[in-house]
Amino acid sequence: MTDGSVLGLITTRYAYLVVVFVATVGLYMMIANQNLVKKLIGLNMFQTGIFLFFITSAYVVDGSSAIVPADGAGGPFASPLPQVIVLTAIVVGVSLTAVGLALIIRLYAEYGTLRADALREVIADE
Amino acid sequence: MSDVFLPLLVAIPIVLSVVPLIAGLRYERAGWPIAFVGSITVTAIAGYVAVTIASSGRLIHALGNYPQPYGIELVGDELSALVALLIAIVSLAVLLYARTAGPRGNAFYSGYLLLTGGLFGVALTGDMFNLFVFLEITSLVTYALVASDRTSGKAAYAAFKYVFLGTVGASMYLLGVGYLYVATGTLNMRDLQEAIASVGYGDPIVQAAFGFILVGFAIKVALFPLHTWQPDAYTYAPDSVSAYISALVSTASAYALIRITYGVFTQSFLEANDLIVTAILVVASVSIVVGSLLALMQTEVKRMFAYSSVAQFGMIVAAIGLANETALFGAILHLLGHGLIKAGLFMAAGVLATAYGARTVTDYAGLSRRSPYAVGGMTLAGIALIGLPPSIGFLGKWFMALGAVEAGAWGVAAVIFASTMLTLAYVFRLVEMLYFRSPSAARTDESAAVEVPDASTDGVAAPDGGSIDRVTVAQVAIVVSIGITVIALGFSWELFADYLDPVLGRFFA
Amino acid sequence: MSEIVTDIRPVAAVAVSLLGTILIVASHRRPNLREAWTVLVSVGKFAIVASMFPAVLAGTTFSYSLGSVLPGIEFVLRADPLGLLFATLASLLWIVTSFYSIGYMRGLDEDNQTRFFAAFAASLSATMGIAFAGNLVTIFIFYELLSLATYPLVAHDETDRARAAGRKYLAYTFFGGGVLVLAGTVLVYWIAGTTDFTAGGIEALAAADPTIAQITFIVLAIGFGVKAGLMPLHQWLPEAMVAPTPVSGLLHAVAVVKSGAFGVARVVLDVFGPEVLYQLGMGLVISTIAAITLTAASFIAIRKDHLKQRLAYSTVSQLSYIVLGLGLFGWYGLIGALLHIPAHAFMKLTLFFCAGAIHVETHTDHISKMAGIGKRMPVTLGAFTIAAAGMAGTPLLAGFVSKYYMLIGGVQMGATLTPVAYYLVGALLLSGVLNIVYFWPVVYTAFFEAEDAHDAKPLVDFQLGGEKRSLLASADGGSGRSNRPRTDGGVPDDDRQDADDLEDADKTQDVADDGADDPFEPKELIDDAEPERPPVDSEQGEDDIDEGPTGVIQPDFAPGDGRFEYDDSEFDDSDVAARLHPSDHVAENENETDAQADRTDQVSDSSTDDDTHDVSAHDDEGTHDHHHEGPPPGGWRHITGREVLVGSETTWFMLGPILAAVTGAIALGVVPYGIGFLELIEVIVEGVGVSPP
Repeated sequence: MTDGSVLGLITTRYAYLVVVFVATVGLYMMIANQNLVKKLIGLNMFQTGIFLFFITSAYVVDGSSAIVPADGAGGPFASPLPQVIVLTAIVVGVSLTAVGLALIIRLYAEYGTLRADALREVIADE
Repeated sequence: MSDVFLPLLVAIPIVLSVVPLIAGLRYERAGWPIAFVGSITVTAIAGYVAVTIASSGRLIHALGNYPQPYGIELVGDELSALVALLIAIVSLAVLLYARTAGPRGNAFYSGYLLLTGGLFGVALTGDMFNLFVFLEITSLVTYALVASDRTSGKAAYAAFKYVFLGTVGASMYLLGVGYLYVATGTLNMRDLQEAIASVGYGDPIVQAAFGFILVGFAIKVALFPLHTWQPDAYTYAPDSVSAYISALVSTASAYALIRITYGVFTQSFLEANDLIVTAILVVASVSIVVGSLLALMQTEVKRMFAYSSVAQFGMIVAAIGLANETALFGAILHLLGHGLIKAGLFMAAGVLATAYGARTVTDYAGLSRRSPYAVGGMTLAGIALIGLPPSIGFLGKWFMALGAVEAGAWGVAAVIFASTMLTLAYVFRLVEMLYFRSPSAARTDESAAVEVPDASTDGVAAPDGGSIDRVTVAQVAIVVSIGITVIALGFSWELFADYLDPVLGRFFA
Repeated sequence: MSEIVTDIRPVAAVAVSLLGTILIVASHRRPNLREAWTVLVSVGKFAIVASMFPAVLAGTTFSYSLGSVLPGIEFVLRADPLGLLFATLASLLWIVTSFYSIGYMRGLDEDNQTRFFAAFAASLSATMGIAFAGNLVTIFIFYELLSLATYPLVAHDETDRARAAGRKYLAYTFFGGGVLVLAGTVLVYWIAGTTDFTAGGIEALAAADPTIAQITFIVLAIGFGVKAGLMPLHQWLPEAMVAPTPVSGLLHAVAVVKSGAFGVARVVLDVFGPEVLYQLGMGLVISTIAAITLTAASFIAIRKDHLKQRLAYSTVSQLSYIVLGLGLFGWYGLIGALLHIPAHAFMKLTLFFCAGAIHVETHTDHISKMAGIGKRMPVTLGAFTIAAAGMAGTPLLAGFVSKYYMLIGGVQMGATLTPVAYYLVGALLLSGVLNIVYFWPVVYTAFFEAEDAHDAKPLVDFQLGGEKRSLLASADGGSGRSNRPRTDGGVPDDDRQDADDLEDADKTQDVADDGADDPFEPKELIDDAEPERPPVDSEQGEDDIDEGPTGVIQPDFAPGDGRFEYDDSEFDDSDVAARLHPSDHVAENENETDAQADRTDQVSDSSTDDDTHDVSAHDDEGTHDHHHEGPPPGGWRHITGREVLVGSETTWFMLGPILAAVTGAIALGVVPYGIGFLELIEVIVEGVGVSPP
């Protein structure tokens, strides 16, 4: 199942590829896009990629969600810990987005632009 | 059970942080007293915890009584106790300073308390993911505080830059934690230490995990070339905030790096991975040199101090990479010392800016006569920053240099020695301005009364500048006492060595 | 023999002037009280140090630890023979310098006197710390403190030049101290696990890897050598001469540079030990660097026209004697080197004090402007002559004894160990000759030339490699009333000024209409002549007077002009401030009976009058030596013996210290055992395991 071929990699580890793809797109967007809001979206995507990575790592073959009955029967279960972690991380991410958006509003109110390059120019002139 | 004080340290400020906002609805000036009560309380607790740890060893508190290694635990050992004490003391000093210096709104005091709680969390947590949460609490509040100067959009832009780089740094750290979890299945630091050893130090996943974590912290402590967020943030933040974050936020991250490198990955990991060690040493050495040179090129004083931090943290990270006990001891001393020194320098810069509107190096001409005490405190802190004896800076430098020599890292040793010259260059640029140059505008004023300004206590009496009234005796007193403290701590190595002996013993078993 | 006694006195010696610093700052509003503290503390310090002298001579070592600075390293102050040698010297000369600096600072009515005296006391505190430091870390701490404490003294004037000198000073000394000495200390600690000074050397260093031991020694020796002015790291020293003269004198001839030399001595004697050093082959290396330095510095000194600069290079050269002697392995070399520490201190202090007195009284700094000054300041220049003769190694003076020992040491080493030592001896002898070459012109100019008849000093006045002359210029040169053949006729400004005086008088050449040309014309006439001064004059005068610090003066006649520009009396005229201020002038106006009255007059003058020398000098950020050097229009006033006694030459605040210092220099030459230093040195050298032959 886990042979070394590229095809094997794609078919068995595709989740990781998606993770890398999402994170990279997010990072690229954050760096290359001049729009502040889109930069923030990029940042969110980058983080989402990392969250997905955690979720992926919790996967257990044929595992069900970790709702364990009182007698402890059932299973195998997917690991609950990364999911808890990601829940927390999402909360952190949301707060972060809120702070970021608040700053964007502040910058827009001050300079009347949402473009990073324009902003840099205005600030350099100040 | 004294370990319950550990969660209290974290919880009290965080819970209290909502109070100023709520109370502010009714009482406009409720913020400062609440923050003060909270700060005094945590300082007392931190002191008590530090003493307890000295007598009875490390304290471990399982949050919510969840069994280990699944639950989150708070660990107070000698190192975290020292960092907690530093956080408590500097917080208190900043609070006293900020009373008149501002920012004054209740929101500031809420943020202040939240930041304090977050920093305590970073210092005390024993869980990798929990550390991420506390780092993010710290960072989020820092972004907000940096932007809290409403007079200019520059602060907001600086904070915005900080948001991106800070978040990427934290995410890198989180990714590293994820790798570790994949490799070992646990996130408890004490547990991880053994788990990583059993997985093997040469395992690529473990190596990658360390790599991500290292890059994450390199951004957080602002190593060159990942430092770009920091100068703007320190420069445009309000003076109190600059003092606070420069003294503590990067310090907490560097502490976390020490904790993870030696408490989780251990010295054996570094010994097994030469390439990683070399990378750390090279980046850190470059950071020392470039940071100092950039500091030398600045005209704005706060920006100069910001770049100085790049260099100083380069020194600390280099010592972490040297992987021997002497160097690490030096790094810890320098970490604590640098926190105090930078707090003193930024507060002194704040005093001079408030009193005379002096923000650039040239503005500082001749200020020693108008404000001899604040300038004196600044000079003492500057001397400690250079690492001239006797001062805490010298102790740190001595042990780091000795560690580098012991490790046979001659290049690092040379950079550490040379850093004296580099730091000297920018510190004495200021000192020369302050003491040996008269502002031509104030020339007549001076020749009329050469000796008199010396007499004016703490500069309050000097009528010049208009806004001198806004500087209180308390602010100047804090600056001076920090200056004296960093010099006096130059005789304190034994205290620290005895206190840190158990934790260094654990790190270098 | 070496009994170690716990005693607080070494600490007290350090603490007393630290206390003095606080008292001085505290009493900044009352100058008299402040100066009283300075004197009181200096006397107290010397008393403390002197009280230890007999016991140390008998073999006791006083030691006191203030706790631990670093693992295994105590912050210990220990009065052993070597430390006491330096401490006695510094504290003794501090008393002398205290008086002198009071006279000097008041004479010039300097700004920031409180800072000056406070920093001065702090420097002495650090110097004591260096002397009594019991290990490398302690000495390093005080070494850095000394750099810090002396920085305000160097940058005292707050002019651009002073600040630049301060920067250079800091850069050099912290490179030496903060980088090299620290590195060396770390290395020693790493190798030996201790940095305690041990007479005869730390044992573990002897067993260490020779390469690392060599590197360690070089790093330490150069680190301390920076303060001792070892080439090529000597450049801060001449620059630092911008400081007030008491600073140059005490700190740059006694405390700072000697702490460098003393540091090298500690490293040689108590860290490595002469024995180990010889085995490492390092003694000769350091001696050779020193030999090169002393020769080169002597040559440079010859070309310096600024007196203090010449003295500075002389210091560079003389300090290398000490370092050279330390590198000579054996009884005589070491004794000579150590004896040269006090010998040079007494002589160089005299020389600097003289330079300072000349500056205060006449505002003259350049040797070329000192023609005939011997009659104005006979005692000062007399003391200068004696000290200069001592520097050159004239018997019966301090310099002779130490050099004699070093020469014997060198010859002995050459005969028994390595012929290289003969070259070192050669360098010593050559330098003695060069000493005469650079000191004799000062004496000659002062005593054997007149204001209106002195000749150009070819080595000083002209660019290296000669310069192009016009016929006219050589014709002019021929007119100089000199008993020495003129090597050059293109007389540059300051010499030419006087030559021109003659020329104008003799040839009645058409030089405007200034009656001021006659040096003996009363001053009132000059005042009258002033408005008629041609406009070109002041401009040209400015150009003329702006000579480089090297003392190389550009010829100042305009090409094709056909005649010379106007002489010095004219730009003296153009500078009212200068004419108003110099004490000569004041003394001339008064009936010169009560010199004290003159002085008060002068001081009040400078503090009240906006146009006085000090204010203008500080205002234009220039130096003291612009516009008002050289003799006053009427020529130097002749001071007789009786006038000297009442303080007409200079105040007793300055004359006393000069005489005290020169007495020390003579005593050390006539009865070297009599004043204890030589005996103490023998104890030191025996202590490190080198026995007399």
